[in-house]
Amino acid sequence: MRTANRVASLLLATALLLGGAAAAVQALLLTLHRPTPFDTSGWLDALSGTRWRDPTVRAVAGGALLLGLAILVAQLRRWTPVRLRADERDGWYLHRRCVERRLADAASAVPGVRRARVRVRRRGGQWRPRVRATGDPAARAEIEFAVHQELRHLTAPRPARIDVRLLPRRRPA
Amino acid sequence: MSNAGHRLLWTVIALLLVAGGAGALTASLGTLPGADPAAVLLSAELVDRWRRAAPWSTLAAAVAGALFALAGQRLLARELRGPDGTLRGTLSHPGRRPGRTRLATDVLADALARDLTGNPGVRRARVVLTGAPPHPDVWIRVDLTADAPTAGVREHVRAAVRRFAATTDCQPAHLDVTARIEASHP
Repeated sequence: MRTANRVASLLLATALLLGGAAAAVQALLLTLHRPTPFDTSGWLDALSGTRWRDPTVRAVAGGALLLGLAILVAQLRRWTPVRLRADERDGWYLHRRCVERRLADAASAVPGVRRARVRVRRRGGQWRPRVRATGDPAARAEIEFAVHQELRHLTAPRPARIDVRLLPRRRPA
Repeated sequence: MSNAGHRLLWTVIALLLVAGGAGALTASLGTLPGADPAAVLLSAELVDRWRRAAPWSTLAAAVAGALFALAGQRLLARELRGPDGTLRGTLSHPGRRPGRTRLATDVLADALARDLTGNPGVRRARVVLTGAPPHPDVWIRVDLTADAPTAGVREHVRAAVRRFAATTDCQPAHLDVTARIEASHP
């Protein structure tokens, strides 16, 4: 969402700059009774011939309403944090994606585990790693141990709990 | 522009879209009091009034266009600029005796970044100074190698910041360090 906001803002800024400059030049030339670069008579005719109840107006208004609601929901929902605070005292943060990748690598290295995916969220100031792995269900304790060890290696705070969801490997039919 | 700034900007734009869209839709459906759904979007009366008000109406449109262009230029400049409030030029602070000490900000940031990369576990370091001298806010991003001992690197960063504060006589008001760690070797 952060990248989307940045790109959208760049596009908005460019549109405002170009559109505003074009409108200013057009209006200034009209004031001075000079030939203008854009012919606006077509737009005027279209706006003068369109009624409020026309389906085009309803479609544009509905589209604007839906687009506005979609942007509003995207902006107001809770965003996943880019980084996780490791220590209150020295302002040390760890990049969330890096931590998740390291924990997934640690969980995947456990014998009997084929593939692992880790998501780390904050809850009440504490880290909450969630491990989704495919492999032997008996490896749960070893996965928890491996994740704890990796977190200790990263000098991350000890989480209150690690959620591990182990899916047994599917046997070929 | 910061993430919070972007979020605020797009929330305002979304509210404007919702208000405009809902207003136009209710007018189109005939549920807006005073609005006639059979009326045209741009009435002949409005066009006549616009033409009678010329040249002031076109001049007002030119001013409005210029203001939009200026807003676009300011927004573009903020987007293309670095982090908000980055110190440029010199950090200067008065001494106890007559005279002032002036230090180039870029040189200080580069010096701290070089000190940070002195540890073999730190592959890259980026330093940004913001706030007011002689107590700037120090923002650091370090890229660590996969086998870097994180505890050792943390101690190295703390020591480098202490050295920076002692050398420049600029005690950071706020220190923020973000570490990115490479994926572990297979």
